Amino acid sequence: MKRPAKLAERVRERAAEWARRRQGPDRLPLTLARRRLYILPTRAGVAFGALLLTMLAAGLNYANSLALLLTFLLGGFALVAMHECHRNLLGLSLLEAAAAPLFAGTTGTLRLTLGSASRLTRRRIQVAVANEAAVALDLVAGGRAQVALPIRAPRRGLQRIDRLQVSSSHPFGLFRAWTWIHAPITVIVYPRPSGSLPLPADTGARSGTHPRSTAGADEWLGLRPFRDGDSPRQVAWKAYAREAPLLVKEYSSAGSPLRQLCLDAARQPDIESRLEQLARWIVAAEAGGDLYSLELPGQRITAHRGSDHRHKCLSALALYGS
Amino acid sequence: MKVVPRSPLLWVCAVSAAAVLLHAAQVFAWITIAGLVLVGWRLAAAFGMARLPGGPVRIVLGLSLVAAVFAQFHTLNGLAPGTAMLMLMVTIKLLETRTRRDQYIVIGGALFLLLAACLDRQALAWVPLYGTDALLCCSALAVVAYTGDEALPAPAGLGTREVIGLAGRTLLYATPLAILLFLFFPRLPGHFWAFTPGDDAVTGLGDTLTPGGITRLTTSYAIAFRVRFDGRPPPPDERYWRGPVMHEFDGVTWSAGRYSPGEIQRLNCLSAPYRYRVYLEPTFHAWWLALDTVMASPAPNVRYTDDYQLIATQPVSQSQTYSARSCAHPQSLAPLSPAARLADTQLPPDRNPRTHALALQLRHRAGSDVGFVRAVLTFLRTNGFSYSLTPPPLGPEPIDELLFDTRTGFCGHYASAFVDVMRAGGVPARVVTGYLGGQLNPYDGTFVVRQSDAHAWAEVWLDGSGWTRVDPTAVVAPERIYHGILDLLPNAVSASARIVHAWPWLSATLQRWDALNGWWNARVVGFDHRAQLNLLGDLGFHSPELRDAAYAFGMTLLVWLAWISWQLGREAASRPRPDRLGRAYARLCRKLSRIGLPRPPHQGPLAYAQSITRHRPDLAPQVGPLLESYADLRFGPTSAPTPDGDLRKFERSVARLSIRRSQPGDSRTAQVHSRGID
Repeated sequence: MKRPAKLAERVRERAAEWARRRQGPDRLPLTLARRRLYILPTRAGVAFGALLLTMLAAGLNYANSLALLLTFLLGGFALVAMHECHRNLLGLSLLEAAAAPLFAGTTGTLRLTLGSASRLTRRRIQVAVANEAAVALDLVAGGRAQVALPIRAPRRGLQRIDRLQVSSSHPFGLFRAWTWIHAPITVIVYPRPSGSLPLPADTGARSGTHPRSTAGADEWLGLRPFRDGDSPRQVAWKAYAREAPLLVKEYSSAGSPLRQLCLDAARQPDIESRLEQLARWIVAAEAGGDLYSLELPGQRITAHRGSDHRHKCLSALALYGS
Repeated sequence: MKVVPRSPLLWVCAVSAAAVLLHAAQVFAWITIAGLVLVGWRLAAAFGMARLPGGPVRIVLGLSLVAAVFAQFHTLNGLAPGTAMLMLMVTIKLLETRTRRDQYIVIGGALFLLLAACLDRQALAWVPLYGTDALLCCSALAVVAYTGDEALPAPAGLGTREVIGLAGRTLLYATPLAILLFLFFPRLPGHFWAFTPGDDAVTGLGDTLTPGGITRLTTSYAIAFRVRFDGRPPPPDERYWRGPVMHEFDGVTWSAGRYSPGEIQRLNCLSAPYRYRVYLEPTFHAWWLALDTVMASPAPNVRYTDDYQLIATQPVSQSQTYSARSCAHPQSLAPLSPAARLADTQLPPDRNPRTHALALQLRHRAGSDVGFVRAVLTFLRTNGFSYSLTPPPLGPEPIDELLFDTRTGFCGHYASAFVDVMRAGGVPARVVTGYLGGQLNPYDGTFVVRQSDAHAWAEVWLDGSGWTRVDPTAVVAPERIYHGILDLLPNAVSASARIVHAWPWLSATLQRWDALNGWWNARVVGFDHRAQLNLLGDLGFHSPELRDAAYAFGMTLLVWLAWISWQLGREAASRPRPDRLGRAYARLCRKLSRIGLPRPPHQGPLAYAQSITRHRPDLAPQVGPLLESYADLRFGPTSAPTPDGDLRKFERSVARLSIRRSQPGDSRTAQVHSRGID
């Protein structure tokens, strides 16, 4: 049983490669055209075909008109079902794809926005990243919907999601139509935070005499756009009431310690472990409300804090050396 | 109604129950009950009221049901036992239905049971039921496919109505193809493998005739066959339809006998022959009915015997259609062979002695065979004989008792008595059974012959003219020839048939239904290889062959595929229809664009109003408020007291708005008027 499965896998990979060469790279937003939709009968569809052949043989043998009429009706039914399955994807739009950065070794989500501009209610559209499990959704006429696909990140760096599969076997499960999408969707994978070294000591660039108050309560740093995960308490609600976009107030506590992080400080046997140690420090420093700077060979990020800064630093680690 | 995980199972249960019920009237009751019990068991388990049986129990159950079917039918081969087996297999499979694959298998089995029903019964009345069952199966397919594997969470929201709509529309789109394929898919002239027909005789005709044994002739109003005459139809007294001919008599029962077929005697037709087409209902007998006397075999597999019967090599298990030619006044050209004369004058020597004495006496007095026939008919006419479908029983000397004691009987009695008398007088004679009559259905121009028209008459050999039809019943009850049994003996048939007969509108409706049935049987059920070749010939494919049918089939398939592709693709590409407000707004924008003020796509209604004011200040008082009210209706608070009323007002104002392009002469002057104000 194992070999045929492998064979099917190989065939599928070859077909996907062929489709990639044939279709060329994609750019979002894109609308599914006939040219890129593929369709084949499912296992149930093949069985249905065999059933029809048996019925046809019986009808012809007995020269029974009603049996033949039934057979032809079901044959036509299967063909119409094929067209319906095909058009369930035809004209479907993939509008956006975005994935939040994630740490290596964790599972993140890729958010896809699908839209249907036609009068059709599209049912049971299945979306999947390459060979991962699919997620199904329904799209009402003229509507759009978002799906969250799980993505796994084994290594740090810029991970490309080089293949999405959109498929459907609606309405009768006799056929399955699908397409492969090769859009340039990338997601930044931070190094996995690990390592046991303590945070480098406060370099005391600022006077540490100021009594430490609650995190993020001292010095006005400015406003920045709202991001998922921000505390509602930090939102600039007054500005929002004046019809400004959702903004978040950022403060710097003047008395926070300053951590100067650099590759050499993370004493680890190899470069990956050092990056992981740095990632852990950044996470810890950010969580502790400290100010921190990052120095890598060839680049330097000045001391700051906040989620933008954290992202900048972690991204630098993620992309280091690439 | 939202699809719950139980939903596909309910659908599959419904499909199996429907497939079982489809055959309920045809199979033994225990099979139907067993099937329904199994469905009920699965349903009870689905609702947690029962436990599903384990593997061993299912195997034992399955084997015992197979054994029961075998015990019932003594075979598993053939349509009826096969159907029974499939009914039980499908419902047992239902018991172990857990995955999607199992559900597909049950639906497939149900479709096959539907096919078995089609093979079994093709009457028009069944067709709506078959269609409903097909719709049910296809809907179940959609539900099973939609609910999907366990791996995928089911997106809720495919309602029952939508499922049925989906399946119904798909079947509707498939119908043109089904009809085209039906007409053009190459048919085969024969069978691949033989089939075992059912053995239930449903005709008033039989191999034997025992008039004395019947005390109550039950007649069925069912249709035996329909006939369409090419040209003038025969008068009522010539509408004799020839069936089995009886030669051998043992004193009580007539049978076909071991009549050795001699050479077929050529007939000389003294009148213009009738040409007609017969649409024969299934009889499960080998006889093909034809107007007396048919002149040739209508089909290669039908034997034309020397006593002018048509006997097929296989029983008529499906409707048959054939053309024939008959002669009402035939004359045999050759003399009767000695063997035939011997066979048709044979009588049991020691039976019915009084009859034989009468025969000898009449024959002696008559002088000639023709005179003898006349004398016997006169005897029947003048001695108080009466016609009845409920005659008293006759004993061991039935002819004697009929002629001298009871003097009451129906056609079978009089025909057998007449032939007995003839043979006793030395005249070759035989009993012919068949039908007499045929009622014209004005809606399709066919003559309908029913089982209640079954009849028996006599044929005697007269030197010089050959076999001559004599109907002694016509002497006893002349009305029988001109009217059906119903007029003659209203009590002879069932109450429902009498009611139909009494109410003209009801019988007119039934005649229409009969006509429709006749069309269905002739054109749809009877559409075979030959009919297909005729159709292709009519369409201009000369020297029609199977290959022509294949070409025609390919062409129609392509045309249909293009149509479906276009039709479905159009729906997929179409934009969603805007709502009422959107349509009214689009109309307003169209009107403005016609006078040279199109709305740029990025402009909202208020910005549009401003730009119009800039370009055509004269339009501002008309158009400005409209655009503002659109913005209010579209984007304003939805808690307006009468949003519908406002919407209607907006629509009306847009409809009434009448604006003109600014004239070159009087640029920027008002050319606006509103019909509402004028």
